[in-house]
Amino acid sequence: MLTATGLAKRHREASRALFTDLAFTVAAGEIVALVGESGIGKSTLLNCIAGLDTPDGGAIAIGSPAVDIVRLGEAARAALRARSIGFVFQAFHVLPTLTVAQNIGVPLLLAGVPAAEHASRTQALLTGVGLPGFGDRWPASLSGGELQRVAIARALVHRPRLILADEPTGNLDPRTAGQVLTLLLERVREQRASALIVTHSRHVAESCDRILTLTPQGLE
Amino acid sequence: MRTLAAWLIRAQFRSRRAATLLSMLAIALGVALGYSIHLINDAALADFSRAMKTVQGEPDAVIAARDSAGSVPLPLVDEIAGDPAVLVAAAVIETRVRIDDLRTPVRLIGIDLFTAAAMMPGLLPRDAERAATGGILAGALYASPALLAEIGLQAGATLTLLRGDQRWSATIGGDLPAAGADDLLLVADIAWVQEHFGPAGAVSEVRVRLAPESDPAGWRAGVAARLPPALLLRVAQDDSERASNLSRAYRVNLNVLALVALLTGAFLVFATQLTAVAQRSTHFALLGVLGLPPRMRLLLVLLEGLAIGLPGALLGLVLGYALALAFTQLLGGDLGGGYFSGKVPLIVPQLLPASGFLLLGCAASLTGAAYPAYLNLRQPLVEALNNGFTARPQAVRSRRRQLLLPASLALLAGGLLQLPPLSGLPLAAYAAIALVLLIGVAGAPLLTQEIFGRAARLRLPATQRIALQNVAQAPLMAQVAASGLIVSFALTASMVIMVSSFRVAVDHWLDHVLPAPLYLRGKASPLPQELLTALERADAPFLRVERSAYASLTLDPRRPAVALLVRELDRRDPAARLPFTGAVLVPPPEMPVVWISEAMQEIYRIVPGQSLRLPLLGGDVEVFVGGVWRDYARQFGALVISRDDYQRLGGDFRPSDLALWPRPGEEAAAGEWLAPHAAAHALEVAESAGIRRLSLSIFDKSFAVTYALEAAAMVIGVFGLAVTLTASVWLRARELATLAALGFDQRMLRHALMLEGALIASVGLLIGLACGIAIGAILTHVVNPQAFHWRMPLHLPWLALLGGAVATLAAAVLASRQAAREATRLPLAQVLASSQ
Ligand SMILES: Nc1ncnc2c1ncn2[C@@H]1O[C@H](COP(=O)(O)OP(=O)(O)O)[C@@H](O)[C@H]1O
Ligand SMILES: [Mg+2]
Repeated sequence: MLTATGLAKRHREASRALFTDLAFTVAAGEIVALVGESGIGKSTLLNCIAGLDTPDGGAIAIGSPAVDIVRLGEAARAALRARSIGFVFQAFHVLPTLTVAQNIGVPLLLAGVPAAEHASRTQALLTGVGLPGFGDRWPASLSGGELQRVAIARALVHRPRLILADEPTGNLDPRTAGQVLTLLLERVREQRASALIVTHSRHVAESCDRILTLTPQGLE
Repeated sequence: MRTLAAWLIRAQFRSRRAATLLSMLAIALGVALGYSIHLINDAALADFSRAMKTVQGEPDAVIAARDSAGSVPLPLVDEIAGDPAVLVAAAVIETRVRIDDLRTPVRLIGIDLFTAAAMMPGLLPRDAERAATGGILAGALYASPALLAEIGLQAGATLTLLRGDQRWSATIGGDLPAAGADDLLLVADIAWVQEHFGPAGAVSEVRVRLAPESDPAGWRAGVAARLPPALLLRVAQDDSERASNLSRAYRVNLNVLALVALLTGAFLVFATQLTAVAQRSTHFALLGVLGLPPRMRLLLVLLEGLAIGLPGALLGLVLGYALALAFTQLLGGDLGGGYFSGKVPLIVPQLLPASGFLLLGCAASLTGAAYPAYLNLRQPLVEALNNGFTARPQAVRSRRRQLLLPASLALLAGGLLQLPPLSGLPLAAYAAIALVLLIGVAGAPLLTQEIFGRAARLRLPATQRIALQNVAQAPLMAQVAASGLIVSFALTASMVIMVSSFRVAVDHWLDHVLPAPLYLRGKASPLPQELLTALERADAPFLRVERSAYASLTLDPRRPAVALLVRELDRRDPAARLPFTGAVLVPPPEMPVVWISEAMQEIYRIVPGQSLRLPLLGGDVEVFVGGVWRDYARQFGALVISRDDYQRLGGDFRPSDLALWPRPGEEAAAGEWLAPHAAAHALEVAESAGIRRLSLSIFDKSFAVTYALEAAAMVIGVFGLAVTLTASVWLRARELATLAALGFDQRMLRHALMLEGALIASVGLLIGLACGIAIGAILTHVVNPQAFHWRMPLHLPWLALLGGAVATLAAAVLASRQAAREATRLPLAQVLASSQ
């Protein structure tokens, strides 16, 4: 599903390279946890995989038939993200000017899913994340945990094959974090998607199929 | 994708109602002004050509004298009528006559019924049954319905026509059914007109219809070559071109005002969209991360601009139509410019121009949205998602590179100012004005960084230092906030400078051209001999009387005629009466001398000291150009010749105007002496002070439109500042919340923000003033001479300019209060808690 080879990255103005020769794979349907100290380069790695940042060297093959996102242009990367990748962020990033249902509908529009399916898919996911009847509410009236559930619904609604989550529970209290995470894993498994989840929580990491640890020397 | 765009645009309008509406209104204002001017002028021109057609029919050619005092001799008329290529040759005598109690002279047209029937159906008379005059050949008069209504007479009544000392009493035999609703016309038989008012053995013009098989162009060329120099051959096309030339410069100036409004609108869209992009940069970044194509990030912002521009422009069209109706009802077809005599022209909107103005409005708002859209495209996604809008996308640029743009623009503008007008219009100068504005806006960040960066390093209380630092460190936001003020104040200041320079110049000029205390005017119709003789008697209470006569010369059939002023002045000392702009040359003793106005110098490219051939008095006369004088009254050129020269050339000096100097102490007696004469001949007596007052009040009235626009521009500018400041408060919510958490109380926060607003406004006004002076100089020294052929010295009304600046600053401080209040309403705890 995801195969990275020979990845190297050093930020402009940075004194040292974050990684020099990284290689790993995430199999289809596999959920992998990515752990490591703050500032080690986890977010940078995720951004490279999503085509939001460009590694200095190496290849990142996504999907089958595999496409190397590193070699794609700006527009093709966006199209690949719209079709095949779902995102969950630490800071939720739910658009305050759209309703909950509209927020969840955005990836459907971007992926070109036929309009007839929108309502049913959105409703199904709202129920799936435990927010039935929240469709017409504005994000400002939702709690952090509810917002992150909306974000999870949005990450899955267009049925991407790869989910990228960057500390999805970092802004939540431990109890809510546990609920939200369980939900995320359940839904990903349900859709048989692959996922790469950055986390600081041992508990979260242990719920995943496999754990990758990023160190200055590379992946372990 | 369309759904997404609709969601976002709707959300945008919902959350930024005031700013969006304001931008929409500004675009509407620009479109409305431009469109209404177009509608009015179109209607006035159509009206003009319709009236022309009534009187003149649609001839293939017209042969007439170049000198308004001249005529076409009868032998030539016969020769043309006998030409085998000519189907009909209609001779016409046209003159202006006065009717007893009607104050303005009326056109009297003498026709030959049989040729007129073929050529000028609009002039055909209809006999009223009860009049029983024996018809047109028996000497009856026929009046247009509008004239009959005006004088309150009907067919059968007797009418007395006056022209100088000549008078003719005749019966009204009927009306002119085909005349236009506004035409004030009299028609009579050509022989009867000739008998009473002349010219003997000649006619005013011959209108020719050619035989179907003839070659019109060839025939015209042949005849034109054979005509004596005093006559010219005109075609209908020349007439319409002349009519359009007449009001062109005035129209262009009004159109520029409309463009100014449109430009301010574009700037508002710019400010609105830039702050909108900045405010929602995390949103756009998120959409980008979710897979929105980069092209769409650009397009969405443009689309939002269009969503402002399109309804704005549509509203503008409706408003423009309403304005056109209102203006023509109030002021007539020339907006008070005095170029057309028609009354209320019919406004007819047409699809093509309307869509043109619609596009213009959309283009303006798209232009405004272009840079914000580009910035939105260029935002690095991850950075924008985590940190929001970066106020300095190209943060580190060397000072030298920053200076490069304004410097090269200034060079370009300087070059444009050297160019001559394009087809009579100062288009290059207008482009230079746009460049000056661009320099001002582009230079704003430089100035803010320089001044405030330095000032922020001083030891100041915390409030002030924070405000200074904010301005210095976010030059792009400061630029946006200031740009509206720069543009609106620059344009306002430049108009104020131009109008004030013009007014001061007109004031001086009036001093010079109104030397006598009293004036008597016959309105281009000769004065009665009886009055002139009485003035020469010893008991007349006047120390001195100077007489003058008017005629007009057509030098180029496509241009309005040049005024010929015959005046009693000393050929060796014309400077005693005329305001010369340069040296007065001594003419060769044997040659007649004329002094030309500035307009004539520019339009016909004549220089003092050269000799000139003029179609004067039926001949082709060589005259010496003795100098150039300033004339703000006749935009299409004037020349003055002394009475002595005129009479030496064989001219018949029939004065129509008098300048009178009453004997000292007998001013009241002089007025009483003139009163009966003025009443008897419908003449106008005016004191120079009165003429002066009237002239200045007409001047002020014709610029009244500009004051309203200036006020609108300033309001828009101040609003733009308020909108941007408010947006910047939201953009810096976290920073402000941090300050509050560090112990800034609400009052301090508010003061810091108001100070920031005042600082930005000061920069905007300072740059605006500098640009305004530059543009004012361009308007005064380049645009005015090129468009109107009027030159004048630059005059800076400092009091008005500084007063305006202070008032605007005060308004800006008030406007930033609003923004400051917004800051104190921020949910500080929430802002601090959220990670973005
Ligand atoms: N756009 C950037 N430019 C320069 N340095 C960056 C940029 N993004 C991240 N960094 C640096 O790269 C390092 C890794 O950052 P990040 O990938 O966010 O780490 P993590 O997510 O593991 O905490 C940090 O030292 C950070 O300061
Ligand atoms: Mg991180």
